[in-house]
Amino acid sequence: MIEIKNVTKKYGNKLAVDNVSFTVNDGDIFAFIGHNGAGKTTLIKSIVGIHDFDEGDILIDGISIKDNPVECKKLMAYVPDNPETYEHMKAIDYINFICDMYDIDTETREKNIKKYAKLFEMEDKLGDTIDSYSHGMKQKIVLISALAHNPKILIMDEPFVGLDPKAVFDIKEVLNEMVKEGKTVFYSTHILDVAEKLCSRVAIIKGGKLVKSGSMKEIKGDKSLEKVFMELEK
Amino acid sequence: MKKIISLIKACMTSDMNVFKISQKKNGKKNSSKLPIIISLFIMFTIWSNSNILFEKMAPLHLQLLVMALFVFGVSLFTIIEGVYKTSSLLFNCKDDQLLLSLPIKRSTVLFIRIFKFYVFELIFNTIWILPIMIAYIRWAEVLNWTYYLTSVLMLFLLPIIPIVISCIIGTITSSLSSRFKYKNAAQIIISMAFCVGVLYISMNMDNLYNYVIAHATSINDLITKIYYPAGVYVDLVTKFDILKLAIFIAVNIIIFGLGILILSKVYFKINSRLKKVTTTKKVKIDNLVIKSQPSVISLIKKELNTFFKTPVFIVNAGFSLVLFILISIAVCIKFNDILPILTDPNGIDFSKTVIMNNLSLLILILISFTAFTTSITNSVISLEGRNINILKSLPIKTKTILMSKIYSCLVITTPVLLIGDIILFIRFKTNIIEVFLLLILSILIPLVSHFIGLITNLKYPKLDWENTAEVVKQSTSSFIAVMLGMFLLIISIIIIVGLIGKINSLLILIAAIIVYLIVDILLYTYISIKGVKKFNELSI
Repeated sequence: MIEIKNVTKKYGNKLAVDNVSFTVNDGDIFAFIGHNGAGKTTLIKSIVGIHDFDEGDILIDGISIKDNPVECKKLMAYVPDNPETYEHMKAIDYINFICDMYDIDTETREKNIKKYAKLFEMEDKLGDTIDSYSHGMKQKIVLISALAHNPKILIMDEPFVGLDPKAVFDIKEVLNEMVKEGKTVFYSTHILDVAEKLCSRVAIIKGGKLVKSGSMKEIKGDKSLEKVFMELEK
Repeated sequence: MKKIISLIKACMTSDMNVFKISQKKNGKKNSSKLPIIISLFIMFTIWSNSNILFEKMAPLHLQLLVMALFVFGVSLFTIIEGVYKTSSLLFNCKDDQLLLSLPIKRSTVLFIRIFKFYVFELIFNTIWILPIMIAYIRWAEVLNWTYYLTSVLMLFLLPIIPIVISCIIGTITSSLSSRFKYKNAAQIIISMAFCVGVLYISMNMDNLYNYVIAHATSINDLITKIYYPAGVYVDLVTKFDILKLAIFIAVNIIIFGLGILILSKVYFKINSRLKKVTTTKKVKIDNLVIKSQPSVISLIKKELNTFFKTPVFIVNAGFSLVLFILISIAVCIKFNDILPILTDPNGIDFSKTVIMNNLSLLILILISFTAFTTSITNSVISLEGRNINILKSLPIKTKTILMSKIYSCLVITTPVLLIGDIILFIRFKTNIIEVFLLLILSILIPLVSHFIGLITNLKYPKLDWENTAEVVKQSTSSFIAVMLGMFLLIISIIIIVGLIGKINSLLILIAAIIVYLIVDILLYTYISIKGVKKFNELSI
């Protein structure tokens, strides 16, 4: 579970996130939407411990990211909007590196790496250095490394950008599988129709402020999510 | 022209943050005073030392020779440094895709990259040459307004020829290395060979100097024959000639233009060849190594991977280490030739007996030289770039991340220092206690250098860069760390030389261990508290 309590983040005098509060429950696939520069990435980076924030608190399974970041991070996996990796490394070395940071034993990582490499059709490519990959392939490596350590909470920033349709389909399957196991998925997106079909809950942010949050049904009613979003943007 | 100015502005903005005054969260202004203070300190030191030199040369009427030699030295240094910087400054830049997709000539892209290089060398040249130009005013025999005009113009013109030469040599080395399968390794070997080669040749140029001296008609002629720009400067200061100045300006413009023209013919071919990724055989997943290891080991391996895959980083850091081994071997083979130099080091008279009884201190000086000139950590944070977010999102303590960077540097420096130490121990028949103490110092002294580098980089990070040379060679952090290293090296040499023959060498070694241990503990504590805080505040 992720509890965001009155979080405020400033860049100089500019408020990037303004007193935002909402909760992501276990078993949720939670969509976080907003236009460019609305504060999505800033809040996500605060949740995963990359950015500090000025006010409020973020609890991961009841543990404060401010007070105990290492314990919180052990529960999470983060997939950034741009596939950031160590490009000089071979993909397998990068995945091993991430697994080492999460203290994943050889047996578990072997099982998971093989499973997700097969799913994303990367089995024969893990021996190559990442700098030889396309954007989509890099994104797949980041996803494999995030999933290889069995995270309880998966946090993704625009995960579908640059991926081929099959990979997008496969990710959706993986997310549904995770939710069935009681895990939590929280992701930001601009692809509203996918969010509408996939997510149980949604939050909309505008100018750093949370404008709506709740179950997908509550938020959109009889309208489409796109229409609701466009109305809020006016 | 408007386009070029806009492009230069866009490309230079992030580099010029050394002089930027930013607003901190708490409202205080965060000015980068330290680099400016250090620059002024260096300039003051050069100014005061050049005054001493001028004082000695004035009775011989050789003040201009001092200036000329300084210009020559700075230019030579610019060429050597520029050669291994070129591979990163010109090639494989992050903004390649952006710039090459714009509707501008490819030679304009090359011009902007070389211009950026020029601006940095201009700053470097000014720091070193301006103080001596100012000091000369006091010692000049004849001085009028033309001296000021010539000197100001020279400050702008002097870096041009060295950077064109280094760009051409750097492009040749990049072209050669681009033909190899292991491009980075080839780049490192070629650049290192060039630097060592230039050093060797400059130390063995007696024949050339003798030839030039024999065929020169005057001091001015002599300087001109050795290095044309230095000669022109001396000529113009002695007797101002507008035509000579105009010719010199024209020569520089032509050389710069020709350089760009020649390089632009091959630049893009080499750049694309360097980008070509060598395809490897497909490896089945069952044949790949999937195994767990402790997080610290994994972090160290990641750091070493970055180090060995970044040519400018390895050449920059590895040069002193290679030099240490070469010096150790040279001392080992030619110690009897070196001994007379040591017994009379510029007025400090040591008897042969004193030197022979204190050979362990000679080793200590060499260790200090290597440790303080091998600054690896001053760019380890900056080199993370956007990947800093990967580290910050991982479930490991910040202190572990920072210490892994220190450990990886020790993994690089310690074996080299041990090899050099062993060569010297065997040659000098060092006793076992001194061997033990020197081995401890071979870890403690580099540790000080690594801690200082890391602290400097945490204070002055540059995460948004276009190429690795900007971080490794041209960042505020590397500048400050190198200067601090030089300062500490000079201080330690002064102390050691001051104590030679007065206190038993064993006692000096023990005292050195105590001092460095205390400094290491203090720096470690600083990193554990303030360093961790600084790292957590980093964002991109």
